Amino acid sequence: MHEEIAHYLSEKLQKKGADDVIVQFGEGESSLIKFVNSKISTTKTWSNANLGVFIAKDKKIMVSSLKEFNQKAADELANKMMQNIRKLQPNKEYRGIAKGPYKYKDISQLYDKKIEDMDEEMIDITKQGIEAAGKTAKRVSGVFEKSKSEVLILSSNNIHAREKGSSLYFSLRALANKNASGYGSCVSRMKDKLNFIDIAEHAGAIAKQALLPRKSIAGKFDVLFEPYAFAAMVERFADSASIFNVESGLSCLEKKQGKKIGNSKVSIYDDGTIPNGFASALFDDEGTPTQRTAILEKGVLKNYLHNTSSAKRYKTKSTGNAGLISQKMNNIILEKGNASKEEMFKSIKKGIYISNVWYTRFQNYQTGDFSTIPRDGAFYIENGKIKYALKDIRISENILNLMQNVAMLGKETHQVKTWEVETPTFLPYTLVKNVNITKPN
Amino acid sequence: MDKDLANFSTNYAQKLGASYAEARLEESTGNSTVIKNGIIQATGFDKAEGLGMRFIINKKMGFVSTNKLTKEKIKQVIEKAIKITKATGKVGENIELSDEKAHQAEYTVKQKIKLADLSGEDRIKVLMDAEKAIATTKVNVPSRYIVLSDEEVTEYLTTTEGTKITAHIPRVHFYYFLSMLENQKLSQRYWVYGAASGWEQIQKWNIPKILSEEATTMKEVLTKGKKTPLGKMPIVCGPQVTGIMVHESCGHPFEADRILGREAAQAGESYISRDSLGKKIGSAVVNIVDDPTIPGTFGYYLYDNEGVKARRKYLLKKGKVTEFLHNRETAKQMGIKSNGSSRASDYEKEAIIRMSNTFMLPGKQSEEELFEGIKKGIYMKNFMEWNIDDKRLNQKYTGAAAWLIENGELTTPVINPVLEVSSLKLYPSIEAVGNNLELHAGDCGKGEPMQGIPVLLGGPSIKLQGLRIK
Repeated sequence: MHEEIAHYLSEKLQKKGADDVIVQFGEGESSLIKFVNSKISTTKTWSNANLGVFIAKDKKIMVSSLKEFNQKAADELANKMMQNIRKLQPNKEYRGIAKGPYKYKDISQLYDKKIEDMDEEMIDITKQGIEAAGKTAKRVSGVFEKSKSEVLILSSNNIHAREKGSSLYFSLRALANKNASGYGSCVSRMKDKLNFIDIAEHAGAIAKQALLPRKSIAGKFDVLFEPYAFAAMVERFADSASIFNVESGLSCLEKKQGKKIGNSKVSIYDDGTIPNGFASALFDDEGTPTQRTAILEKGVLKNYLHNTSSAKRYKTKSTGNAGLISQKMNNIILEKGNASKEEMFKSIKKGIYISNVWYTRFQNYQTGDFSTIPRDGAFYIENGKIKYALKDIRISENILNLMQNVAMLGKETHQVKTWEVETPTFLPYTLVKNVNITKPN
Repeated sequence: MDKDLANFSTNYAQKLGASYAEARLEESTGNSTVIKNGIIQATGFDKAEGLGMRFIINKKMGFVSTNKLTKEKIKQVIEKAIKITKATGKVGENIELSDEKAHQAEYTVKQKIKLADLSGEDRIKVLMDAEKAIATTKVNVPSRYIVLSDEEVTEYLTTTEGTKITAHIPRVHFYYFLSMLENQKLSQRYWVYGAASGWEQIQKWNIPKILSEEATTMKEVLTKGKKTPLGKMPIVCGPQVTGIMVHESCGHPFEADRILGREAAQAGESYISRDSLGKKIGSAVVNIVDDPTIPGTFGYYLYDNEGVKARRKYLLKKGKVTEFLHNRETAKQMGIKSNGSSRASDYEKEAIIRMSNTFMLPGKQSEEELFEGIKKGIYMKNFMEWNIDDKRLNQKYTGAAAWLIENGELTTPVINPVLEVSSLKLYPSIEAVGNNLELHAGDCGKGEPMQGIPVLLGGPSIKLQGLRIK
């Protein structure tokens, strides 16, 4: 019934004179277990459906949504949209939507039926995660969420596509005491690929290590970032490649296409086609097939992220990053290197190991000046060895400087999706030289 | 809105064994218009209706939400939710709620100019006028991104204890992000305005004036701004800076769920503990309240999402810790009554402890009087970058519009002064509090899934002593 309404609404809007129509129907079910101080505190269950609508008429654009799935509601919405759109102002930048049909390449490991039936098993997994972190930590908090979703997209330009997805997200913070914590998270689209024990043990180990005596330091240091920490910066950097952000002043990449802005070691991609990628999808919000797009290749800014309309304006091709209004990222990748974690530690004479950060904020998006705060264990390193845990430090830096100063990249890639990093980001351990560290009054 | 669906849900949960259930049925309509560099990007409107319900079964807490509003579907999701919640068994925490009076009430925020009567053209006109006003200033503002939005929400709350509350709240909101380029230097500023009101508040704000003043001020900073002197000196913070400080380093750490570790994996814990009650953490001039009952404010409500009557809470009185923000669960754990701080951003989210309108109470001196006697200091009128650690101690504010204070007067603008300070040093350093109270809007994020909720943050200008500018 819900799908029928999507078709009905799409046809109705076209009949009423809309030039372009996109209707997206999504339906999903999720369960979430929240655990606090090593006990399950709440369980949450959702079942929702949503229909998103985009129309253009004489370059005027309107978006809306429908959550009542009957013909009457669809009629009302179509009438209201067509009445109102006539009075709006044209978006002179608008150049249309994707033209189908497309043949979508199959991407493996995006849906696993086994996830649908694991409601009660989620409690066992949560227990095991709490126990694994609890071996070295005093208390453990976090969430474990599972979802399944179905998306159907229809457009007036010959798009008719659907896909099914499943996902698991396990996020955990272990605390050895009030001031000593460690973090771990993992995501997977497939039930058997969730390595929750490893990340729980890692969080517990960092929490225990953070119990050592602490002090605050400031100055320039070589910093070895865990993937959780550097992902926050890579994600923000990649988001700067969205052409919407470039035009809005929310980017440090304006007028830099083709220029070398990062170290030759640094290559960053947007990729919606990664098997088991948390944000992988067959198509974007206008039905364009997703792809792998080089943002930065060996330090050179290669591409901005586009939808069909912006791509036409810039005389290029869509990169499969359409949201209905602005471009959005798929999965982000910082290409791995070939260093082992041990080699990276060994190369540090005086430096800092940062396991996680949060609260990344920009003073100036265009110059790239920002700061972010280490959260969970951060440690002082001398001659390749951790000496003691640090407290109350901040990274006060410039994001372009960071990309210039990347010195070593680990040989293993980790998929990071956390409370702080919403876009799944694939990256290795990363060593950055001369990072500016500040401390409070 | 079919209120019977909410009553049906709580009854059905009870029938399946729940000792307590609390359902919120929510209906909302919203409009938003986005303009980027003078070009209207899109206009949107939304209508949504859905149900969210918390329940306690075998002392375990569960939450369920759906927008598929048929009794058959509701029964199905409740059965599923109860099954999962029951299965938590021994690893599940026993949840108890404080005893509270059940209320029956209905309240409405009146609109002088009804949002429902406005057209897309009316909304676009405000944005185009703002664009014109920026152009009139002759300041070079190459990037301009403005979002204007409004919503009307009706919430019906019903509990198995007899609470039945209906609230109708309209809200208006606008956000801007401007990049100013003058003297080959670039500066950026964003800010947010929000109120529980009809369209009249949009007119009262005078958005074109706000934006043109912003551009003009930043031009002065860019063209005349000097390097910030560093070192220890008196600092006067304007109301926007005071507001963000109060929100981040007093409001958040006073949320009892953070104090008890319930947000450890998300928004973090707190430097405040249960033992902090009665202790002095600020100077005697510091009084901070959280008050949802002020008519017209962005964080306005009269009953929270657990049905507890809202009231003003004193977080700090004369520098002493007096009260935390509570819901019924944390209140029970601390052996007191809830003070009505539980809110959900929408029907899809469980209610958790939130700030409402959090601000420092004003003193008697004017802002100019705060400058008096300062030989050399910094006035930080507003900021751009800020952040704070997860225990709410180590915070940083980087000034956007800022001036040097010399011999009691504002003289030269200064570029990006930085105040990086621990909460334990910040509140004792407040020497004087101005009388120029301002309340500013914010969209506060907390919880998992993330819930952004309307709040006000504010205060008057304040004078800090003994801190270093970087």
